[in-house]
Amino acid sequence: MAAHNESEKKSSDSVNDLQTFRAENLQSNMKVIYYSRTFLSIIGGVIAGILGFTGLAGFVLYFLIMAITSIALIAKAKFSIHAYFDSWNRVVLDGFLGGLMSFVLFWTFAYDIIDSFYCPAKIAEKRALLFADGSAGKAV
Amino acid sequence: MGFSLGVVIGAVGVLILSHAAYATSQYRGLLKITEDDFSGPPFNVVVELIVGLVLCMWAALAVPGDFLSIHPHSDENRIVSLPDNLDFMIFNHRGKVFVPEINMRLKR
Repeated sequence: MAAHNESEKKSSDSVNDLQTFRAENLQSNMKVIYYSRTFLSIIGGVIAGILGFTGLAGFVLYFLIMAITSIALIAKAKFSIHAYFDSWNRVVLDGFLGGLMSFVLFWTFAYDIIDSFYCPAKIAEKRALLFADGSAGKAV
Repeated sequence: MGFSLGVVIGAVGVLILSHAAYATSQYRGLLKITEDDFSGPPFNVVVELIVGLVLCMWAALAVPGDFLSIHPHSDENRIVSLPDNLDFMIFNHRGKVFVPEINMRLKR
C-alpha cells in the first residue's frame, strides 16, 4: 500500500510539472469573461453616445470601462488568477478588440438616435410657437 | 436566486440608461429650439448614467456564472465525494470479508 501511495504521489507531481489544467473549466471561465466584456462594451457605448462624446474621448471612456471591468473580474476571481486562468492575458486582454467593435457600433447608434430624436419640422414648429412675437430668438 | 437577482438588477440598470437617453434627447431638442450648443448633458443625467453603469456592471459580473477552478486536484474538481446519507450506511456486514480494491480519492 505504501508503494502504491508513493507511485500516486509521483504521478501527481509529474502532473503538476506538466501544468495540466481542466480545459473545459478554462473554456467556461473564458465564456464568462467574454459575456461580461461584451455586455459592458455595449453599455459603455450607449453611455458614450448619451454623453455626446466624439473622437478620442469615447475611446478613453472605453479604456476606462475595460480597466474597471478587468479589476472587477480579478476581484470576482478572488485575486487568485492562476486558480481559474492559465495566464494574466486571459483576464486582462481577451475580448478587448471584439468589445471595441461593439462599443463603436453602439456609441454611434446611441449618439445618432439621441441627436436626431427631434425632427427638423417639429423644431421649426416649436420655434414658431416659442418666438411667436417675431423676435426669432437669436440672430441666425 | 443569484441568477434572477442579477437579471433584475441588469434590467433596472438598462431602464435607468434608457431614461437618461430619453432625457438627453429632450434636452438636445430644447437646445436645438433655442439654438444653443450642446456642451454636456445635465447633472441629473450624469448621475443616472453612473448609477446605470454600476448596476449593469453588477449584472455583467453576476449573471454569466461563477468561475470554475482549473486545477485538476482542487477540491471542486474531485470526482468522488461522500454522499450525504453516511449515517444510514452500514459497513459492518459480511461484505467486509470481500473488500474490493478501491482506488479512489475521497474528498477531505
